[in-house]
Amino acid sequence: MKIKMKLNSIIPTFVAMVLLSVGMSHSAYASKWDAKMTPDEVEAVLDKKFEEGSYSPKGADSCLMCHKRSEKVMDLFKGVHGAIESSKSPMAGLQCEACHGPMGKHNRGGNEPMIAFGPNSTLAPEKQNSVCMGCHLDDERMSWNTSHHDNADVACASCHSVHTANDPILSKKTEMEVCTSCHTKQKTDMNKRSSHPMKWNQMTCSDCHNPHGSMADSDLVKPSVNETCYSCHAEKRGPKLWEHAPVTENCVTCHNPHGSVNEGMLKTRAPQLCQQCHASDGHASNAYLGNTGMGSNVGDNAFTGGRSCLNCHSQVHGSNHPSGKLLQR
Amino acid sequence: MKFKLNIITLALVANAGFAMAADGYGVGSANVDKVKFDKWVCKGCAVETGVTGSVGVGVGYNSEDDIHSANAFGSDNEFAPKLDADVNYIGESGYRAKVEATDLGLDNGRLDVNVGKLGQYNLNLNYRSIATYDSNSVVSPYQGIGGSDLTLPDNWQTAGSTDGMTELYSSLNPFELSLKRERAGLGFEYQTESLFTTYVNYLREEKTGTKTASGSFFNQSMMIAEPVDYTTDSINAGIKFSGSNWFTSLNYDGSIFKNDNAQLGYDNAFNPTFGAQTRGYMALDPDNESHIVSLLGQYTENGTAASARLMFGQMSQDQDLVTSGYGYSVPTESVDAKVDLTGMTLKAASRVNRSVRVSGSYDYSDRENNTNIEEWTQISINDVNGQVAYNTPYDQTTHRAKIAADYRINRGMKLDGGVDYKRDERSYSEREVTEESTVWARYRLNSFDNWDMWVKGSFGNRDGSDYQASEWTSSENNDLLRKYYLADRDRTMVEARVSYTPLEALTVDLGLRYALDDYTDTEIGLTESKDSSYDINFNYMFNKDVMLNAFYNYQVIESQQSGSSTFSGPTWQADIEDTVDVVGANLSYNNLMDSRLRLGLDYTYSESDSNTQVRQGITGDYGDYFAKVHNINLYGQYQATEKMAFRLDYKIEKYLDNDAANDIAPDDIWNVMSFGSNSHDYTAHMVMLSVNYKL
Repeated sequence: MKIKMKLNSIIPTFVAMVLLSVGMSHSAYASKWDAKMTPDEVEAVLDKKFEEGSYSPKGADSCLMCHKRSEKVMDLFKGVHGAIESSKSPMAGLQCEACHGPMGKHNRGGNEPMIAFGPNSTLAPEKQNSVCMGCHLDDERMSWNTSHHDNADVACASCHSVHTANDPILSKKTEMEVCTSCHTKQKTDMNKRSSHPMKWNQMTCSDCHNPHGSMADSDLVKPSVNETCYSCHAEKRGPKLWEHAPVTENCVTCHNPHGSVNEGMLKTRAPQLCQQCHASDGHASNAYLGNTGMGSNVGDNAFTGGRSCLNCHSQVHGSNHPSGKLLQR
Repeated sequence: MKFKLNIITLALVANAGFAMAADGYGVGSANVDKVKFDKWVCKGCAVETGVTGSVGVGVGYNSEDDIHSANAFGSDNEFAPKLDADVNYIGESGYRAKVEATDLGLDNGRLDVNVGKLGQYNLNLNYRSIATYDSNSVVSPYQGIGGSDLTLPDNWQTAGSTDGMTELYSSLNPFELSLKRERAGLGFEYQTESLFTTYVNYLREEKTGTKTASGSFFNQSMMIAEPVDYTTDSINAGIKFSGSNWFTSLNYDGSIFKNDNAQLGYDNAFNPTFGAQTRGYMALDPDNESHIVSLLGQYTENGTAASARLMFGQMSQDQDLVTSGYGYSVPTESVDAKVDLTGMTLKAASRVNRSVRVSGSYDYSDRENNTNIEEWTQISINDVNGQVAYNTPYDQTTHRAKIAADYRINRGMKLDGGVDYKRDERSYSEREVTEESTVWARYRLNSFDNWDMWVKGSFGNRDGSDYQASEWTSSENNDLLRKYYLADRDRTMVEARVSYTPLEALTVDLGLRYALDDYTDTEIGLTESKDSSYDINFNYMFNKDVMLNAFYNYQVIESQQSGSSTFSGPTWQADIEDTVDVVGANLSYNNLMDSRLRLGLDYTYSESDSNTQVRQGITGDYGDYFAKVHNINLYGQYQATEKMAFRLDYKIEKYLDNDAANDIAPDDIWNVMSFGSNSHDYTAHMVMLSVNYKL
């Protein structure tokens, strides 16, 4: 319920679903059988039904005898899951029962459980998702079973709808709101002084992360952090003649890609950030006090004012100049 | 209707009788022995052919002069038209087309067109733009901004310090610091009735604009505008095979980057010093290529899913070296840099029984830089002439292993935990090997009707081989320095979230997070970093038409570091405190005026603040460094007819930021000629009117 509540209350495109759920709210149960059976009993019945394979005599036509009056049910035919011409659509196979399981005796009053989806279903997300994953075996979802969302018991149908022409979760306009409704730390980050342009949906979470999991850490879309960054910042890829080791190793050594109170998404401002690694005898080791009230100011010298260390060492991402060892050219 | 049997169903008809609930309810495990498919004619399946969806057009008006407001408003033009479309076409025999356009015409516009036959082929066309605006009030005396040759006016008077540059103020011109990307792509996917799919996608991105760089001579420097004129071509192609419980694919990812400017030349604004240089040249990011081939595979059986990836790639660059103004011979005309990438990842998750699941992964990645090591004479930018240096191509090998288990105590209680291990091996580094182990555990409780909560804790420890001054990198560094990304570190993290739904219409979420990084063996460098945050979120549905969401997020990051101005033990300390507050609300009122009108208000205020204090006997600070941003979007949507809706958006951004280190005049620093203040202080308004028509 909670995830759905969140989605409903923040996303106008979910308004239709809100009305639907309000309309049903006088019954506290998502499905008719939940009133009489515990979730464990429901699951046991579903397991048994699935094993027995008592599918309906006429497929979708058997289901539609009762369910065709529901607009939401019939909206399936607006989307790809309701396509009757594709050999890869559920409608070309076990039809409604491909997803909702064998009908069994459900047609006798609708009391016998069927596989129900979404955050209101009492069926464990893992069991719900097994239906979707039965067909969606591909490179985009191959790491679902070790993904963050699988681990957090998120059901596919908590986010996705198939009984529709357009799945609203796929809208780039609302993606940020959807993701940050749970990922609140990232919501804080993207509102900081500097961040990737996510606040205005120019970029979205899925530009870098695969919500279905990936073979990389943090479910990144590319094999590593740097590969992910290079997919938009190819100019940083080099390899340049003079590499700056922490840059080569990992972009997030210095940057927080979700946002920072510092300019340039830097974890710390210069010169302090640079002085966390550079302490050679001379100017890199000195204390730069800034405003002391005794005549010196942060903006009056090249070590703290302007671009600080970058006033001279401008090429912090590496240099390809023959004389670039100190990253100045 | 024509009836086609799903290939997966066909596959399992052949294997009938192997139904296993352990794998869940996947169609591949279904027991279809008793199904009489010939009776399944699906008379009631109502796929309507034709065009559905909606199209919309809008125009925005923005009068703000400060170009920074265009980040929020999506356009730097006074009048900004846009197009939205969401059009579906369903044809006979599975032909389908879809056109999705979002804010097309604005800076963050997107277009995605798909045309094809379901389950057989799909042709995709896409377009996307992104623009980010920094400033249009920064100033520079240079001519030729946007190009690769920056010159000072003919009457320029060089001087030993900026305040002696008599022509500086009469030569300053404002210019724009902004970057725009536009990408367009074309993709094709072909599937067969059998097991394989093949695809090819091509994407070209153009990135243009200017960004800040600095050109320096000895101890004097000028801020200069670096031209950005990049073209990146990306191609990915592959072939995928899948069966009822397995998947494999062979993929190629290529990327070719071209920079229209190889170098940036600039006049010296100061009196020439060492080397009598009146002109400098900076090497800009070189053209480069990356080619990666990967093999993916997945297999599931009896509640176990295993996946693997093998990856081989190369990144290379052979841009001609910049020799203008260099004055020494180069050992080679181009570096011909090559980095080989090798990666292997294995992952598996297995359900042991109804309550226990285990998972594990191993990841190997290797970056081998095969660039030749040569001798390079360094220009006398300091008072040491003609020093020779050797390039240090970095190699890095990383091993990562993770194991985890989750235990479902009962339907509403789950405990999971695991151990993560990471080992990094590097060349030319003070520390050749670092190893980090992290243990974590999490407990989730949602067995009470109105509550859902979890708590997670982790502890990680990093150490490694002896930290020593490598002759290549750190002989000049203080012996007591421990670079923070290599240093011994204890990392502790606790996080908790509670979601409470006391009423059907009300949800309150609370999150808390605390993380401490303790650099246990560091005397010089970053010694400690603490990150604390909390957030509160409140959702309330007053009735079926009125909804409110309100939130407040707070975070503070406190860091401490030490340095030594005597090249020995610590003599100074720096404390940095970064804070951010974000507060916001979204209110929407639907179904007004006989269900024709919807009104809404979105509001966000964010305040980022950073305080830096440095102590060495006396204490100094870095002054104001904050950004305070209010954003309001008030909108109303009116359904005039069944097909036609009008929407009016009124957006306000009140933006104030500063940075004492940069709130300076171009000649405030004697040896740095700056762009002047880059702070912003404005209240910008935008009105956008749009019309949406339902097809």
